[in-house]
Amino acid sequence: MSEIERRREFDALTRALRPELFRYAFWLSRDRQLAEDVVQEALLRAWRAWAELRDTTAAKSWLISIVRREHARTYERKRLETVDVADFEEQLSGPVDDPDLRAMRQAILGLEQEYREPLVLQVLMGYKAKEIADLMDMTSGAVLTRLHRARARLREAMGIEPDDRREVPQ
Amino acid sequence: MTGRDDNTKDMNTAGTDNPSETSDRPRRQMSDAQFEQLLGEALRVDVPEPGQRHAPTVPARRPSVLRFAALAAGVVLAVGVIVNQLWTYGYIASGDIVDDVVVHINHEPAALIEPAASVTQERFSGVMQAAGVSMSRFDARVTYVELCPFRGEMVAHFALQGSAGPVTVMLLPNEQVNGPIAVDEDGFHGTIAPLSIGGSIAIVGEPGEDIQDIQNRVADAVRWRL
Repeated sequence: MSEIERRREFDALTRALRPELFRYAFWLSRDRQLAEDVVQEALLRAWRAWAELRDTTAAKSWLISIVRREHARTYERKRLETVDVADFEEQLSGPVDDPDLRAMRQAILGLEQEYREPLVLQVLMGYKAKEIADLMDMTSGAVLTRLHRARARLREAMGIEPDDRREVPQ
Repeated sequence: MTGRDDNTKDMNTAGTDNPSETSDRPRRQMSDAQFEQLLGEALRVDVPEPGQRHAPTVPARRPSVLRFAALAAGVVLAVGVIVNQLWTYGYIASGDIVDDVVVHINHEPAALIEPAASVTQERFSGVMQAAGVSMSRFDARVTYVELCPFRGEMVAHFALQGSAGPVTVMLLPNEQVNGPIAVDEDGFHGTIAPLSIGGSIAIVGEPGEDIQDIQNRVADAVRWRL
């Protein structure tokens, strides 16, 4: 494959995945500027290693793992301070008219990272528990527990009756 | 918002701005489907347009504004410091030979004091030789001598004791001036004068010093080595 073809292939893939990668990075960092930086750096690293990726069907997971590592590196490097919940609306790119939507976003932003990340991977990325477990280097059971607790905490934060009958999607 | 039932809107949402205050409120109902839909919608935050900040999809390294500003300031500062150091130490020229002479003299304060001991003839000759200069029949009390970078050249710089104090002499074989140039800056008084053998000399002393006499004696004594 020529350089131009490789570039086009990378372009097409990252163009399609960029929104998801940005959202993932945003919910990890809870900071739009930082999320953009993380995605940018991650794509830079990805492009450098693109020729080494044999299975392009696995590119999405590969890119997510790069974003995840880049976020961790950035976090470690900057020793980021705890995000102030009061600043969340600004981070969410302007006010939201729907009070439920606003409340849900605030609740998600208030979740601990250990709950927030698997939730984002499941809901946004469509990952199954096993895939999340592989990415986060934990067991599927632990992922399911976190997903259940994440939803329970969101319901609690929003004042919604818990639904004990509900099964966590796998 | 689309897709959620209207009764979702009717649920008690007061006070949800602060999740920590929800425990005492009456709990409301929300179906799983409504909850999952709201969750998905909440997670899909606006994404910046690629054209806004990321024109090419294949990434180019893009420093953030602060990082760029810090980088630019650092580069400017570093370049400024380096240029200043190079100029001060004589590795580059400012374009104005008088400025360069005064800066150089100020940078070597040892040449401006009157030490008890004079420079030995051996050391003086050694520096002259290194600078490509020979001097003869030169009668003066030399108290400082160094081989110095000046406008990109290594030149002989010495100080002798004049009637009004230390006098700096710089021998500049590759600096051509059309005629004497007066030096009158920073309390220094002197001249940069062409030599009949080519090149020039800078003689700078205290106000009241007989610069012309020293200039004549140096001009008579100096010879460039080829």
